[in-house]
Amino acid sequence: VTSLIADPGLAPIGERKIEWAKTWMPVLRLVRDRLREEGSVEGRRIAVILPLEPKTAYLAAMLREAGADVAVAFQGSMVHDDVAAGLAARGVEVFARRGSTREEELRYFEEVLARRPEVVIDDRADVIRLAHTTHPEVLEDLRGASEETTSGVVALRAMEADGTLKVPCIAANDARCKYLFDNRYGSGQSTVFAVLDRTNLLLAGKRFVLVGYGWVGKGIARRARGAGARVVVCEVDPFAALEAFHDGFEVAPLLEACATADVVMTATGVRGSLPPEAIARLPDGVLLANAGGVDDEFDVAALGPGREVRPGVVRYEAGGRSVDVIGGGVVVNLSAGEGHPVEIMDLTFAVQAMSARHLLLHADELEPRVHPLPPEIDEQIARWKLEALGVRIDSLTEEQRRFLRSWEAFA
Amino acid sequence: LSAAARSRIADPSLAPAGEQLIAWVAGHSPVLNQLARGRLADGALRGRRVVVVVHLEAKTAYLATLLAEAGAAVVVAGSNPGTTQDAVCAALVARGIEVHGTHGASPDEFEADLMAAAETAPEIVIDDGAELTSRVLHRRGDLADGLRGVTEETTTGVARLRALEEEGRLTFPAIAANDAWSKHLYDNRYGTGQSTIAAILRLTNLAGAGKEFCVIGYGWVGKGLARYAEGVGGRVTVVDVDPVPALEAYMDGHRVAGLEDALAAADVVITATGSVDALAAGTLAHLKPGAILANAGHHDREIDVDALGPGDEVRPGITRHELDGGRHVYLLAEGRLVNIAGADGHPVEIMDLSFSVQALAAHLLASTDLEPGLHRLPAELDREIARTKLATLGIALPEPRPVDIAVR
Repeated sequence: VTSLIADPGLAPIGERKIEWAKTWMPVLRLVRDRLREEGSVEGRRIAVILPLEPKTAYLAAMLREAGADVAVAFQGSMVHDDVAAGLAARGVEVFARRGSTREEELRYFEEVLARRPEVVIDDRADVIRLAHTTHPEVLEDLRGASEETTSGVVALRAMEADGTLKVPCIAANDARCKYLFDNRYGSGQSTVFAVLDRTNLLLAGKRFVLVGYGWVGKGIARRARGAGARVVVCEVDPFAALEAFHDGFEVAPLLEACATADVVMTATGVRGSLPPEAIARLPDGVLLANAGGVDDEFDVAALGPGREVRPGVVRYEAGGRSVDVIGGGVVVNLSAGEGHPVEIMDLTFAVQAMSARHLLLHADELEPRVHPLPPEIDEQIARWKLEALGVRIDSLTEEQRRFLRSWEAFA
Repeated sequence: LSAAARSRIADPSLAPAGEQLIAWVAGHSPVLNQLARGRLADGALRGRRVVVVVHLEAKTAYLATLLAEAGAAVVVAGSNPGTTQDAVCAALVARGIEVHGTHGASPDEFEADLMAAAETAPEIVIDDGAELTSRVLHRRGDLADGLRGVTEETTTGVARLRALEEEGRLTFPAIAANDAWSKHLYDNRYGTGQSTIAAILRLTNLAGAGKEFCVIGYGWVGKGLARYAEGVGGRVTVVDVDPVPALEAYMDGHRVAGLEDALAAADVVITATGSVDALAAGTLAHLKPGAILANAGHHDREIDVDALGPGDEVRPGITRHELDGGRHVYLLAEGRLVNIAGADGHPVEIMDLSFSVQALAAHLLASTDLEPGLHRLPAELDREIARTKLATLGIALPEPRPVDIAVR
């Protein structure tokens, strides 16, 4: 096992962090036991391309514990060196270092691809795209990929539409056990609190402009309101806008909303969501952060030179006004915080692990397209989580089932 | 001797990092900058010996700086070794202020720091939990004669001062800064509420959604905790011994229960009673396995930490304690105030209000001869703070008509 990491000596610190995550991931432990018993990942090559922090580390570690050969890589802005070291010590090959250069990152991804993975668990479809563009030989062994993010699924669908997608992909993001919880409660809590933790400021009474009301936006709006903010939603989609309105939020066009904002958060997954004319309208002292999966939701470089005014907070000044950017425009819960809460990632990574299993067992039956996680697997994960939480639910009676099946009942 | 030579701090070279934190506070403290600074500029504090004993982080440091700027001879000591930030101490010393405090000071060092501050024979004390005032009275009664007055930050401290007054031992004026509307309505509720829940989430990296929170004590702090716990998706059960706040909690939509029932269901237990042993040795048997325990009240003794036995650190700021029957629980920040020991304390804007109360109270003590005993901040000053804050938010109020004033 050869890893490329910053400092193997950090392993004990990283190990403790991974162990804490494991403690709060009962479903993932259950999935590990199941995979181990059935031997479905034994000796199989799996690549995990996810921000390298304790929760993802445990996903990689549990796949390893279940018998898979696991390689991990990611961009340096979201790598915890101690966790990387802890994971390497658990027998996973790790290619990641905080603050790595673009060249190093390319090398890291190439190292992972050189291991000829059978399944890639990908983030933003970065490595799947790399395999299709510059490393087509990798596609021979690649049975399929499972994609974590909304933005990545969009990219894969575009590849499917123009006929370039060569392997079956599972849109893990679109599993209900993922987006209903991870995107909404996970992003909601962790992005709002990353801003509060980094700034030590109060949210009560603040005008919080939220750009984008997808699942991530819905979670942010709810948590920002929960912390006392007055939330204004900006949307381009009429359904999402109407939903925000009925959820009790003010809805306004971006340029208007920006003029009275105390905090602006983007969550669109679209580059250039906050154009220069919107930024020009921001009042002095506004806080700005990106919660979306795309780094360029607003253009940090265009803000000019900045200076750090608190750890993780950079101030940009122009025309007598200042804007304080938290987390450098990169998804704020990871760039300025510890990412999603552990229990949420228990669900998400159970989806990923079951997705990888499904691809290993059934890729031959799948077209090279974007597929959903089979709904019965999704439902099974939800039931496991409820069981772990000690929450019991009801089931339909035979009569109710019959009623639902028989359209004649309405006659 | 220079301020640096008189001080006891951890590391003077940390000053730039502390300076950055203080500058950030200055930028978000409009009421201190406008109202308090203007009021202090009349020279009433010039040459006055002022001791500030409040959690020693950037907001407190900024208050100390403003008092020094107004000409006071300021000495600062931490009110709790777990909440003292060494970088901030270094920056204060670099600004020429005498500081006694280090993060994680031993009980002996902590006592020595407080007594060193007391030995400077303060005329005015800005106190937290009456920590300095009670020591002066118990150990250096002679110094009480030199006190023009004390202004007290917390509910707990005001209770202590009231007890002293009832015993006839409050021989100097004391202002219950905590009881000002501009303080307790915001600081105790929104300040503690936001920062405590945020600190718990930050220390654990766990989700609030779906968690059962047990809030012990439904004073202003407890009300804020309950509101913010709900705000992160938690379900709240309140425990209180006083029927009035218990009924208030019920009407606010929370579950109200006895301690044993509440603990049995709680994923997170937060103490906020301002008393001791809110979570006492005898109640630990009722805790759910894996429960997370945190304190939001003034005393480190709200949770009986000794009864939990030794713990292993499983994450920074989290210790795991094995209990009888193979159960374990997690304790945050050793049972100290979790929002300050585990994070940066109250939000800046909240402390802008609280410390404006303190600054105006100190000014009042310096410029007026008040009767001995416990006073509240005059309502007009209190309103002026709120009005200034609203004005900085761009919110203007209608002028009160005579009838409005008559019914007030």
